[in-house]
Amino acid sequence: MGKYILKRLGYMLVVFLILSLLMYLVYAMIPYDRARAEAENWKQVYKNDPVGFEAKYQELRKELGLDQNVFVRYLGWLGVMPINGQYQGIIQGDFGFSYVYDRPAQDIMVEPMKNTIFINIFATILGLGITIPLGIFCAVHRGGKRDTAVQVATIIGYSIPVFITSILFIWIFAILLGWFPVSGMKTPGSNFTGITKLLDEFKYMALPLIVMTATSLGGMTRYVRSSMIEALSMDCIRTARAKGLREKVVIYSHAWRNALIPIITLVIGWFLGIFSGSIMVENIFGLNGMGRIYINSLTAKDFEVVLLLQMFYVIIGLMGNLIIDILYGFADPRIRVNK
Amino acid sequence: MNKRILSLVLALVMLALCFVGCSNTQGNGDDTGADTSADTGVVSGEKNENKVIVGNVTELAGDFRWPGFGGSSAGAADQDVNGLITGYSTMETNQGGAYVWNDTVVKSHTEEENENGDLVVTVEINPGLLFSDGTEVKAVNYLAYVLAFSSPVSVNAGHTGMSGQAMVGYDSFAAYCGEDVEVAEDAEVVPTKEFAGIRLLGDYSFSLTISSAAGYYPYYFANTYGAITPYPLDLVLGEGVEVKDDGNGAYLTEAWYEKGADSTPEALTYVKSTHLTEARYDVTKYAFSGPYVISEWDEGTKECTLTINPNFAGNFEGQKPSIETIVYVKIVSETQLDQFKSGAVDILSGITGGADTQAALAAVDESNGKFAEVHYQRAGYGKLQFECDFGPTMFASTRQAIAYVLNTADFAQAFTGGYGTVVYGPYSPDFDMWTAVEDTIELTEYAYSVENAKQALIDGGWVYNSKGEDFVEGQTGVDAVRYKKLTAEEATDVNKAFVSVANTDGVEYKTVEVNGEYYMPLVINWFGTTPNDVTDMLAARLVGTDDVTAIGMVVRSVTGDFDKLLGEIYREESYGYGGTPTYGMFNLATGWNSAIYDYAYNWSLDPVYFGYSANKLFDEYDVAFPYDMTGEKLTYAEAVEASGDKLGMDYLSMAMVYNAKTVDEYNEWWGAYIERWNELLPDVPLYSNYYFDIYNAKIQNFETSPFWSPVDALLYCTIANAE
Repeated sequence: MGKYILKRLGYMLVVFLILSLLMYLVYAMIPYDRARAEAENWKQVYKNDPVGFEAKYQELRKELGLDQNVFVRYLGWLGVMPINGQYQGIIQGDFGFSYVYDRPAQDIMVEPMKNTIFINIFATILGLGITIPLGIFCAVHRGGKRDTAVQVATIIGYSIPVFITSILFIWIFAILLGWFPVSGMKTPGSNFTGITKLLDEFKYMALPLIVMTATSLGGMTRYVRSSMIEALSMDCIRTARAKGLREKVVIYSHAWRNALIPIITLVIGWFLGIFSGSIMVENIFGLNGMGRIYINSLTAKDFEVVLLLQMFYVIIGLMGNLIIDILYGFADPRIRVNK
Repeated sequence: MNKRILSLVLALVMLALCFVGCSNTQGNGDDTGADTSADTGVVSGEKNENKVIVGNVTELAGDFRWPGFGGSSAGAADQDVNGLITGYSTMETNQGGAYVWNDTVVKSHTEEENENGDLVVTVEINPGLLFSDGTEVKAVNYLAYVLAFSSPVSVNAGHTGMSGQAMVGYDSFAAYCGEDVEVAEDAEVVPTKEFAGIRLLGDYSFSLTISSAAGYYPYYFANTYGAITPYPLDLVLGEGVEVKDDGNGAYLTEAWYEKGADSTPEALTYVKSTHLTEARYDVTKYAFSGPYVISEWDEGTKECTLTINPNFAGNFEGQKPSIETIVYVKIVSETQLDQFKSGAVDILSGITGGADTQAALAAVDESNGKFAEVHYQRAGYGKLQFECDFGPTMFASTRQAIAYVLNTADFAQAFTGGYGTVVYGPYSPDFDMWTAVEDTIELTEYAYSVENAKQALIDGGWVYNSKGEDFVEGQTGVDAVRYKKLTAEEATDVNKAFVSVANTDGVEYKTVEVNGEYYMPLVINWFGTTPNDVTDMLAARLVGTDDVTAIGMVVRSVTGDFDKLLGEIYREESYGYGGTPTYGMFNLATGWNSAIYDYAYNWSLDPVYFGYSANKLFDEYDVAFPYDMTGEKLTYAEAVEASGDKLGMDYLSMAMVYNAKTVDEYNEWWGAYIERWNELLPDVPLYSNYYFDIYNAKIQNFETSPFWSPVDALLYCTIANAE
């Protein structure tokens, strides 16, 4: 197993390097001159001195490494080649700079990451807590009225874009009923502590949480249902029933385990998604999360932040695949990697 | 096992649901700010918490001490907070955007010209002014900032390092890197530790000498260089650094220039630059000089809470705040009105556009006096901006024709929903200079008229077809548009290569050569941003419409994002230019945040100033009668006579700030500048919209203006029935 993991980590490094190069090249190809944008900040300072302004622009190009070719810049970003005489890349712990926030890229992600994880943990637990039992229930009662009702509901939920659901829920629950705040993350100006603070945060997180949960129900429920239906039609299940096992044992002990393989892929994906924010939900509800940072950085062409985010998600994705492969073995001994 | 896991998951779900359910009940309790403020409007007569929640769609970044750090990219929300925590400047902007001396701070000041022709501004401040921590504000607190942010240490921290650039001796001081750094023999500037133009004259007095040699004096707004703000010494300088003056100018002691561990002779680094970087974002350690102090900054929720600074002595009018707490929060533009109505915020500012304004006013009308509004005309305007150095838009006749055919009055009505108007030049009706000249100034309104548009084109020489023959209306293909015969001077390589873009109808218009003469087609290559309602409305009125077709013009539209638009205007290499500009027209907006109106160098004929000009307009009058910076400073009447009443844009814009000495003189130049601008029309102003600020009526005396933001206004406000 250890050898397998090491081998996979080696592959991951190669994939990371290839993807990082491709992404770096994509952003380098976008027609945008960061040095020029930065130089504009200096225009008033050099109001009477256009020659000085041009010199400043060229200095900024050099500072940003834009006078080098894109491959040199990429290697500089990695930290294996010096830019302006200094090794300052991800190997050295320099993950880039946010020109919008005027701070190191990693610094601006700390608080949004906390918020995103906070809300996603609950959304994931709620989502899985509802969809798995519901999917199993529908599979067991396949073709019944309740199954049909759930199928209709989930297909509707699955089909409605999240921003429509968000606006609809805001209108119903925040504006008409007044149950929840329209947006925000805490009562403005409050200085609650302890449990009061937590409850206040839940009050503000409730509506986005409900939206995120509601919009995720459709897909997962249908997935669990179809996996369970397939598992319930297996010969071993028929054998189990023929042996006279109780139906609960047949469903939860035999069929469920056989249905787990495809579900594990999705469940792990959900948990990995804890780190990635929802662009729509965070923007509509004014949450300071990763999705908002991502879209803001893209819009502002703050590419070093975008690149860092994407590389982070690449690593999360690669690690997730590894975890999924290992978990497959636990769920189904037939596909353990060391056998 | 599975059963146990399932039970655990379900238990967690139940627990989470309980939290969510309970929290709603808790949230409506008496001690939660948002709901409380909603329920305690002035109508109810109940006691109101002495607190205001200000909403802004722009996010706070925590850059409150020195927003933008010397650059121009400061966030509007951060600047608002900075305005609340910063005070005691020697000069402040008033409600009309003009710089005025701060009588609360300044005991006396003099402005004298010295023997070198420099302006010496001497300031004595009142003793007894206090920072929020109780320490006294002295002259060194004013000078520390200018010195620190003129030194290479601040540049090392990412600042422009040019705070004192207008003062005598700046270059030498800015070149000084500490006594341990050797100066090259061939150095152009001899570094000095003293800043000659800044003098510490006593505990409460200092002087600033504005340099004439560097071109900062004479200058109409030169005294505004005397507008400096005090900061706590430990905030700016850290520990162990003093401001001194031995008679040759103020300076910072050597500890300021202590080198960092990674410093090399080729790339100097400084210990204090790290201090500046850290202090910039530190809102807890150092004192504040403004009416409020930051009591909490929550980076996670992007919310800033400010409480009153009891030591604040007042602004330029001696005004002190009475609202105890101001909470500044991020709101979402799509739902901001709902947040306001629910009481989550007390003030929404800058609402504009027909639908949004109507919704905001409806909320006020339906509130039974719980909400109120204040509005003002924006100091700025949305516009069509032209490139005036190539293509059809280089001719005033083309620009005028577009203005005539566009029907700007109707456009403004449609876009603003009636909550806006049209201006006929680059001014705000709230400018004092506009008030001074509005009865005498003569501006063309370019009222909608297809005939006038045609006539402008005919007068401008747009009378040919693609074969060099007379233009005939109603033709198709390349002859659907008028052509203009280019003079030898106009037939530049760029104009010879002029070609239409976005030829989706299969017709490509381009400059043609007929018998050795060049004829340019009347095609406007327009770049607009998207998504943008203005772009959409302009497209509906310009692209392929009957009016535009009738005058023999075609408008070709390409859309993209704002960075692309700026790239096209700057003609950046990275946008693929090889010296051939593409677009002649852009739609965007412009505005002013103070009444300092200075467009010097924007219309220069010198190509080196090309990047400073938004329009690249070179006025022929300036060729015949150019402005000479070193020449005699003529009065307006003298210049009119000398030029034969043909003063160009460059002359007028330069003389406005470099010749005028009095308000009346300035206004005279300014009026002439606006008239010439209106004639040449480098932009077509499309609309100048009204901005509406709506607020909870518990806030009393809330008055805003284009130059007086809600946070400025709050200094004068009280809360009705405050607790």
